[in-house]
Amino acid sequence: MTREEIKTEILNIFSRDFEIEKPGLDDDLRQSYEFDSVDAIELLMGIERFLNSELTQDEKKMALEIRTINHIIDYVDGLVRVREREAHA
Amino acid sequence: MRKFFYDFTVTVILWIYYIAGFLVLFSPFYLVAFFSPAGREEVFQRLNHRLHRQFFSLVQLLAPNVKWHISEEVKALRSCMIIANHLSLLDPILLVSLFEKQKTIVKSDYFKFPVFGWILRTSGYIPSKREGLFAVNMIDQIKNMKDYLTTGGNFFIFPEGTRSRTNRIGSFDSGAFKIARLCHATPIQVVFIRNTHKLFPPGRFLFNTCEENVIEVELAGSLEPDYEGDAFSLDGLMAEARLLLEKKAVL
Repeated sequence: MTREEIKTEILNIFSRDFEIEKPGLDDDLRQSYEFDSVDAIELLMGIERFLNSELTQDEKKMALEIRTINHIIDYVDGLVRVREREAHA
Repeated sequence: MRKFFYDFTVTVILWIYYIAGFLVLFSPFYLVAFFSPAGREEVFQRLNHRLHRQFFSLVQLLAPNVKWHISEEVKALRSCMIIANHLSLLDPILLVSLFEKQKTIVKSDYFKFPVFGWILRTSGYIPSKREGLFAVNMIDQIKNMKDYLTTGGNFFIFPEGTRSRTNRIGSFDSGAFKIARLCHATPIQVVFIRNTHKLFPPGRFLFNTCEENVIEVELAGSLEPDYEGDAFSLDGLMAEARLLLEKKAVL
């Protein structure tokens, strides 16, 4: 899966689940869109559905620093790479 | 002057009971529960319930001018999310005293207090604000909430966030309703609390024990949202809950 595909899916989640259309990739989600911690949980659950696997405790901890869409794309990109490596191992 | 002296004495007794309740009377039970292998969270909630039930028995004893009408419908609530209006610091602990298995959202600062913060955390209560957007504990708690509700737990929230100083229903934070949607919580029970602010007013240290007062807790209504339906909207759900509380507030 390419980074562009991940970006498209993340933007789809924002549009479908949070009614946030065309967000700026570097906008602070809390400040710009009043995105709160409950939204963040919903997003992580959406990411789990997208990856078709549950996040580990360590992976959830890695999400603590997320502030922007670009952070989310980097985060999901990392998760996808780990799962691809595990699948080929 | 006599009223002030009585209020002061009652307030001191209640605070002593409250602090000693956690630190002395109930602490052995909390410690035993903490080191027990199973059901720690549930036992802590039960202990909180008993401590607060005794606290309110003491309030009733020391403030006989205050009458309490807690509806049987409210006492019988189980396995549901509860939305309530917020008038006084007494409201959350009153609901803890009513339900044996209960969770709620608590002001984050309280989690920093020694002992009390540890009890809140171990009881599975959720801090209101986070430094960052994503918090591991909260993620797990919300994900487990559906099971918690199914097994008889009540999750109560005050969507106004802060105590109303005008007696009107304040603006709602959507967080409570987003959690309801995430957990597919149904039914949502809307509970109306009346006059707790007259007994323990916001911004005051002293209980107001001498004034005649009737504190009521009653069911304002029940909502059964269809979260998957096309017609569902978070704003619509909030408006319905608000309407139920406002109808009670004008009575």
